[in-house]
Amino acid sequence: MKIILVDDEQKFITMLAKRLSFRGVEADVVFSGDDAIKKIKENDYDVAVLDIKMPGISGVKLKNELSSLKPDLKFIFVTGHGSLDGLENNGMPKSIYLSKPLDIELLITKLQEITI
Amino acid sequence: MNDSSQLMNAENLLFFGKVNASISHELKNILAIISETSGFLRDLTDLAKQGKELKIDLLESCCESINEDVQRGFSTIKTMNQFAHSVDYPIKEIDLVELLRLIVHLTGFLSYAGKVYIENDDDGNNHDVLTSPFLLQNLIYQSLIFIFNQTGSNNKIKIQMITGEEGTCLIFNSTEKLNTNLFETPEIKKAAQALGIAVTEKVPGQEFKMLIPYASSEIKELADRLQIERSSED
Repeated sequence: MKIILVDDEQKFITMLAKRLSFRGVEADVVFSGDDAIKKIKENDYDVAVLDIKMPGISGVKLKNELSSLKPDLKFIFVTGHGSLDGLENNGMPKSIYLSKPLDIELLITKLQEITI
Repeated sequence: MNDSSQLMNAENLLFFGKVNASISHELKNILAIISETSGFLRDLTDLAKQGKELKIDLLESCCESINEDVQRGFSTIKTMNQFAHSVDYPIKEIDLVELLRLIVHLTGFLSYAGKVYIENDDDGNNHDVLTSPFLLQNLIYQSLIFIFNQTGSNNKIKIQMITGEEGTCLIFNSTEKLNTNLFETPEIKKAAQALGIAVTEKVPGQEFKMLIPYASSEIKELADRLQIERSSED
């Protein structure tokens, strides 16, 4: 499985990528929406894991842009919000949101679920 | 409605809630980093138990990272505490430089905000004003948010402070141009009027001036009314 992690908190996703590699998940990291778009154009990924709130572009808007480039790409959102309530108002099911701090085993389970 | 309740109207409560939400978001991000780093240390330990070499430089860099983020967390909590105490006194003499620095920290927690710089904050002049700390924070915070909502996170805002006989003048300079006059928006206009602060445009769409008197007549009147309120409650 190959995934892309998108979050402006560089330390967070760099560390997450290392931990995922220990678990057999290949993960590229980018720190902005613009870099995510460039990377998606050049590479194929199974899943994009996106932060909900980033400078310049929201995770939801980025998802729409990336979907138009790669319609088969699956998505998981990561949020630092206090709760997951109300996030389904963004038009996507609550089941694809994960809350920070992340439970890496839960992330892996979600990745496996959506790539079956 | 009595005057102390004016200070806690819906708009001000919204501001208070928004700031607290941004602080909690920041603290969650910090804890997320510490959590990942400690998870990584656990992974390294598990690998070491399986006979893999434990690299000392990796351990050192994890410890440094955790320490950095703990300090970032303490700094965030200090800012949160300063903000929380800004409602202790409805009217107070405050150091405008300290208030501006607090607002700059608070806007830094917003993902869509750009950089804010304060100029002349160490010129040796007295920048004290008698005001409502909470309402003034709200006015400056909302002004900065308004600018960043229009211009985005690549924008840089410089706030220049000039103290004169009439009070302290804050000049907001935005590198990106705004399409709307900041101080014509109803919420910002209302907040400025309540504090007796004059706001004008210096360079259309680019530079705005906020003149904060040492003690405006509106603030003095509010202080007198609050005093009367307190006396009638005793």
